[in-house]
Amino acid sequence: MSPVLGAALDRVDGRAKVTGAARYSGELNLPNLAHAVLVGARVPSGRIIGIDCRQASVADGVLTVLTHLDLPRVAARPKLFPSLFGLTAHGQSFFPMQDDVVHYAGQPVAMVVADTVERAEHAATLVQVNYAETPSVTLLDQGRDQTYEPAKIFGGLLPGRNPTRGDPEAGLRDAAVRLDVTYRFAANHQNPIEPSTTTAVWDDLDRLTLHDATQGPTATQLSVAELLGLPPTMVRVVSHYVGGSFGAKALIWAHPTLAALAARRVGRPVRLVLSREQMFHSCGHREEQEQRIGLGADRDGRLGALRHDKTSLTSHYDDWAETSLEAPAVMYAAATYAGGYRLARGNTITPTFTRGPGAATGMFALESAMDELAYEIGVDPLELRLRNHTDVDPSTGNPWSSKGLRECYQRGAELFGWSGRDPRPGARRDGDWLVGTGMASAAYPVAAPMNPQRARARMYADGSAVVEAGISEFGTGALTAMTQVAADGLGLPFDRVRFVGGTTDLPNIAAAVGSAGSGATSSAVHLASTGLRDQLVGQAVADARSPLHNADPAGIVVRDGRMCLRDSPQTGETYVELLRRNHMPDVEALGVWQPTPPDGGGHGMFTFGAQFAEVAVDADLGLVRVRRLVGVFAPGRVLNRRTAHSQLMGGMLWGLGQALLEATRMDPHTGRWANASLADYLVPVNADVPDITIDTIEVPDSVVNPLGVKGVGEIGIVGTSAAIANAVHHATGRRIRHLPITVEDLL
Amino acid sequence: MRIDCVVNGEPRRADDVWAGESLLHVLRERLGLPGAKNACEQGECGSCTVYLDGKPVCACLVPAGQARGREVVTVEGLGDGDLHPVQRAFIAAGAVQCGFCTPGLIVAVHDLLARTPSPAEEEIREALAGNLCRCTGYEKILTAVRLAAGREHES
Amino acid sequence: MVLPRSEMEFLQPESWAEALAVRAAYPEALPVAGGTDVMVELNFARRRPPALLDLGRVAGLADWGTEDGLLRLGAGVPYRRIVTELAGRAPGLAMAARTIGSAQIRNRGTVGGNLGSASPAGDALPPLLAAGALVELASVRGVRRVPVAGFCTGPKRSMLAPDELIAAVLLPPDAGPEQFAKVGTRNAMVIAVCSFALALRPVSRTVGTGIGSAAPTPVRAAAAEELLVAELPWADRAALPEPLVRRFGELVAAAASPIDDVRGTAAYRRHALGVLAGRAVRRAWAEHRRGGVRG
Repeated sequence: MSPVLGAALDRVDGRAKVTGAARYSGELNLPNLAHAVLVGARVPSGRIIGIDCRQASVADGVLTVLTHLDLPRVAARPKLFPSLFGLTAHGQSFFPMQDDVVHYAGQPVAMVVADTVERAEHAATLVQVNYAETPSVTLLDQGRDQTYEPAKIFGGLLPGRNPTRGDPEAGLRDAAVRLDVTYRFAANHQNPIEPSTTTAVWDDLDRLTLHDATQGPTATQLSVAELLGLPPTMVRVVSHYVGGSFGAKALIWAHPTLAALAARRVGRPVRLVLSREQMFHSCGHREEQEQRIGLGADRDGRLGALRHDKTSLTSHYDDWAETSLEAPAVMYAAATYAGGYRLARGNTITPTFTRGPGAATGMFALESAMDELAYEIGVDPLELRLRNHTDVDPSTGNPWSSKGLRECYQRGAELFGWSGRDPRPGARRDGDWLVGTGMASAAYPVAAPMNPQRARARMYADGSAVVEAGISEFGTGALTAMTQVAADGLGLPFDRVRFVGGTTDLPNIAAAVGSAGSGATSSAVHLASTGLRDQLVGQAVADARSPLHNADPAGIVVRDGRMCLRDSPQTGETYVELLRRNHMPDVEALGVWQPTPPDGGGHGMFTFGAQFAEVAVDADLGLVRVRRLVGVFAPGRVLNRRTAHSQLMGGMLWGLGQALLEATRMDPHTGRWANASLADYLVPVNADVPDITIDTIEVPDSVVNPLGVKGVGEIGIVGTSAAIANAVHHATGRRIRHLPITVEDLL
Repeated sequence: MRIDCVVNGEPRRADDVWAGESLLHVLRERLGLPGAKNACEQGECGSCTVYLDGKPVCACLVPAGQARGREVVTVEGLGDGDLHPVQRAFIAAGAVQCGFCTPGLIVAVHDLLARTPSPAEEEIREALAGNLCRCTGYEKILTAVRLAAGREHES
Repeated sequence: MVLPRSEMEFLQPESWAEALAVRAAYPEALPVAGGTDVMVELNFARRRPPALLDLGRVAGLADWGTEDGLLRLGAGVPYRRIVTELAGRAPGLAMAARTIGSAQIRNRGTVGGNLGSASPAGDALPPLLAAGALVELASVRGVRRVPVAGFCTGPKRSMLAPDELIAAVLLPPDAGPEQFAKVGTRNAMVIAVCSFALALRPVSRTVGTGIGSAAPTPVRAAAAEELLVAELPWADRAALPEPLVRRFGELVAAAASPIDDVRGTAAYRRHALGVLAGRAVRRAWAEHRRGGVRG
């Protein structure tokens, strides 16, 4: 591998973004653009008994007002399915404005299209909707007595109950130390800074172009095509720049299709931007949930049994639970295990992915319980983790594709200064502040798509290359990292390679979700680039006029666009010389990566890490301030140190938000979110940022994908909240078993 | 109503502006300057930060009529043919991710360093408190400020 | 009948007399200064006034100076200037102004606007209460000055008449040690869970308090003020007796009538006010003991 791989290079999209030149999906200058605004249901449950659009229809600039009475029926009932698999990827199996039933507050019940956005917004306020409201369930507590165990969750891909190992009831019964604790989690919303936006344009031949803020252009293409009853050939999606997502734009919700329907109705391009408030009702959320953990251990803390059960609220029509049990099930060498999901149906949109889906809550529960166990038996919390460390995947007995967790613990403990910690709670005071430290493990599954991942590499006769794959750039740094992967594979300098993504015209890559984007795309880009390199090398070897004629291709290396013998570097020629001599304007190769099977071909595939936190708690006011965070992760190969560290740091700050700030509160009286704005849903501001140290342990992994990339988008959030809560316990002696921790909890 | 103002050094005019319209809307929808972003419409996120008569403000909270005859500078107007040092620092420090908060932050940092060339840590945090970023964890943004202030050795 | 939006007018007087005349002629016009509250209402379509009355160009409204022996702060002075120019003359107000919103908000938001919105969470109001400020209200009928304590009559309601505009606030010139503190769950950009302001006036041996976000309007803690007036060791500047601090905190907490909402419970607010009050009086008294009496 050349030094370009992993280097902390500047982002290729940096200039466009710092000058304001980058164009996001709602910033296209289109002639005759019209604007659609959605009207959301004011009640959480019931039927629409009347919609009066007369006033709205005659308001200035209004082109049309659509309701369930006149919106065309969609061609198919959507099927909830994760976008990672490259197929249609609807966020829920319900499409609005098809009948008069209201399933949740904020569900679109009308759409106004006008010539300007302010006129559309105003007319939207004039639509009069009358409801026959029926009793609703909007809190887990309201649905608690009617929970059920789903046969499948996660779009039907996972069982509602994890495979049981051994006899956990006996394991618990026989344990010397037992713990049975329940943790509760508020709902969370992703709140990317860019609200979801789609601009829909039909051309003269009835072909649709959608400029859509999405994590997966192909997912948008296939999903919208299915709903409109069109072949995918008639739907093109463009998504160059996306202003953050964190799961909000991972699956495909109603608004791109609604924008397309509106544009077709008015015969003009239509832009549909969700308002910040609508972002709370329109693209899913992390569901309100509780998790019960049962631990059984011997006196030394070795786990004999783990029980992990989750109960959460889902929609009327989908069995969705974020997969909170997945990472905890394999974290430690517990001899016996059982875990399952229970759901309650409620008046909510189907919940969805939110950063660190599943693991962010599941690992909070497990790692809080482990801290409780450590105190119960009087063992250092880090030592307890080491005693339960497992070198095989305990759910299968298979080896890990790679792990690196011991190194993460060790490095994290060094960086943090963990050793010699006085374990006594409430022992350290600094003025008004009680000070404590805590730690937690982190784990997140390495997911891979099921479908082939493709990229195309093309070199021109001047030796420059363009590499293409249909991904969107939503902040991860993919454009830059993939340029590095391509430059490495082709043996070209970074600045001779351009990576292009952002449309469905390009080779297909699954949506970049679940930290799988960099693994999937880098694999295809690597195979395309090395394939093109090998093709050129092969051509040189076959070319009687080449200095490399008849050389062994295995003995040829490429550096800075020049092919030469490894053992005799003066023998060789440049790509340019080869292509010019043969009058070739360009040369191209497709790279296709058929992903590893989901079981890793007999390997457990997870990313691991260790989190450490120091907090100060105002003894009289209960305010928690995080002073320091240290996170060390083993994400396989790091493609760009700078963008990777930034991703991890962003994730850790999400963990801080999850621990102390972020909660979407339901008002059960109205059935609506009570704080659907950035003034009331608090996310961390820069003044909340503690001293954060991040390090990575680069463990080679030859199983997960060709470059051994395990991803960095999620692992940073996992375990942070537990480390903080454990530090709060150390500071105050109080064990807080719900998130976020509030000031009231610590008085 | 008609709005005449100077934007990024050029006299600009917008006609038929609604009285309740924000300066942000005029910039983005009427003057073709989408650099300032629309993300919360209530002054909480700072992604619409622009200069109004030399002071950074949330353009979403400025009635467009108040900008009549005033001078507005957006992120598009900061570079002078080439990138401004603040813009360069954001790239070099890795302070840019999805980029949606970036233009507002660039204006806020530009103002901070124009007022206080060597800001203390607390001054940086206070000056940027009103700019939400969901991607970076902020640390690289603080690094960019130090870099632009010529104090890269501290980062 | 809702007026189509295009009919909203934008009224832009350039003098105070003109502004008052416009206000009298269009009492339904919504005054707007920095826009930081009003524009949120408009952006979210919560309000649709037939006209906006822009006070941004009224000459003199953003000036401050002394008048009748009082510090006269024009209603249009933005928080940023209060922080940078008035930290010595109105320390409590300047401390509060510093915690309001963000730099961008402080560049635009004004005390006049905070009073006009009459929000119980308005951070500028507790220090004005503590300082015993007056609000100057003007109309074509004339000018009146009312104590800020009575100005807010309920959540988002005030004694401002339909034809009146807020001209200025007036503060006593002899600010002594003043404190402002608020509880927020994050370190910046936060609406107060509750807030407390304290003003000690050693020259007159009087005390002022103001409580925010813990009652339908910002309120004073009169009994707590009386306690300090009577029992602070004014004469010898002796150390503050701990029982006095405790009692003061209890009386401040008792003066609040908070509610539960998404930002915090009533019980927490009451408790936190007691803590904030104790910390405020300790800090203010320490400043007084260091000789921080201002003339």
